Amino acid sequence: MKNRIIFHIDVNSAYLSWEAAYRLQHGESVDLRTIPSVVGGDEKKRHGIVLAKSIPAKEYGIVTGESLYSARQKCPNLTIVPPNYERYLKASNSMIDLLNEYSPLIQRFSIDEVFMDCSHLEDNFLQVAYEIKERIREELGFTVNIGISTNKLLAKMASDFKKPDKVHTLFPGEIEEKMWPLPVGKLFMIGVKTQRKLNDRGIYTIGQLAKLDREYICSWLKKPGLLIWEYANGIENSRVRNTPYPVKSIGNSTTTAYDVDNKKEAYMFLLAIAEMVAMRARNLDLIGKVVSVSLRDQSFFSYSHQKKLNIATNSTKIIYETSKKLFDEMWNGKPIRRFNISLSELSSNEFCQLSLLEDYDEREEKLNKAIDQIRYKYGYNSIIRSCFLHSGIKPIIGGVMEDEYPMMSSII
Amino acid sequence: MKVLMKPIEMIAWFTKDKKPIPLRYRIIDENNTYKVIKVDRVLFAEEEKLAGNRMIVYRCESKINNLRRIYELKYEIDSCSWFLYKF
Repeated sequence: MKNRIIFHIDVNSAYLSWEAAYRLQHGESVDLRTIPSVVGGDEKKRHGIVLAKSIPAKEYGIVTGESLYSARQKCPNLTIVPPNYERYLKASNSMIDLLNEYSPLIQRFSIDEVFMDCSHLEDNFLQVAYEIKERIREELGFTVNIGISTNKLLAKMASDFKKPDKVHTLFPGEIEEKMWPLPVGKLFMIGVKTQRKLNDRGIYTIGQLAKLDREYICSWLKKPGLLIWEYANGIENSRVRNTPYPVKSIGNSTTTAYDVDNKKEAYMFLLAIAEMVAMRARNLDLIGKVVSVSLRDQSFFSYSHQKKLNIATNSTKIIYETSKKLFDEMWNGKPIRRFNISLSELSSNEFCQLSLLEDYDEREEKLNKAIDQIRYKYGYNSIIRSCFLHSGIKPIIGGVMEDEYPMMSSII
Repeated sequence: MKVLMKPIEMIAWFTKDKKPIPLRYRIIDENNTYKVIKVDRVLFAEEEKLAGNRMIVYRCESKINNLRRIYELKYEIDSCSWFLYKF
């Protein structure tokens, strides 16, 4: 097979860069990228974490995901701006439009990361990479890193090297020099826990992991071990997918603005999330057999419970009733800060095996359909359940905005 | 020129093929009264799409208090709003 050329394009501090570019366009005199600043969630709603940081903020040791409170302690004159997802989607779409001029094979890996198959460019690829980078900076007002290699994994590792506004290559011949000296935690798919496991056995760099015996890692960490061993050796050959992966599960969650300590309110949160999960399933024409609920209590301890249904469903009512039952079975009475419902074992709802022992209500299906149509046409809050009136709880919860928003994935 | 980015009310001419042409706008001045300004000449118009947000920047000329002034207007396509960008 001819060698492929894959680009991985990664927006530098995406949310922050987009916010900065937008604000400059609207006449603001300070560029957020040049001062210690972060994009952070609403602290009153307890979403107060750092979503993106500027490079000056990084120098204070601020990391993505930490609380705004601790970020402010590290840097007292930190500028904090709220996120605006609609703006970011627009910025991301404009980048995709620009990239489409160069290759039809584009995989949107998340809102700010894109894989692009540029094999057709042959020897010209470096020049084109610089051209793309410059055009994004000039026309769209933000900077990107471009990683180039022969597969998606290496391209992704390359774009992470030195930031911002850089083009890097990481071809198989360069692995030893450029990737192996890096700490093992930098490798894609290795999180804190795996890193600890590897460190315990004296593996600190990607190179050390790569040189391990294949059989050894396979017997120690099983299949995931083999995967990271292959990654460490630069082995990965999935294609750039320009169609989305089939959906395996549909789930939504919410962190509540206050700790929920009673059943009545907990049920309402479950209902609000069930509305979203069921509506999304119906929109994709899918039904699911397994409903699972997970809770996080005030001391950040998470636990979950799931149930397999006799008949696969996408009805709001059944998902809600099941969630309620699961909740009753597992809740230990401790105040809760986070609710999550997900529906899995999905299949198409074209045909469905009914059960003699359970009711099937066709009228309900029609009702759900009618409600969905009203909501898609006039907005999610155009028709709501009366129990949410004056309750202060949003009647449909989940997701960052109404449009589909590309989320991160662990599958390259 | 200084960046102002002040929202303004605008009468514009939308043609068949070109970008909308600003004709006359009004602005609330420091005495809290409306002031109407006629756009005498558009020197150039340029589209920008920073962060994916489309805006048209116009460099214009008007006679204000008997002085010829050059300044910039901005039109945001998504929100259909006009701004006095630089003056």
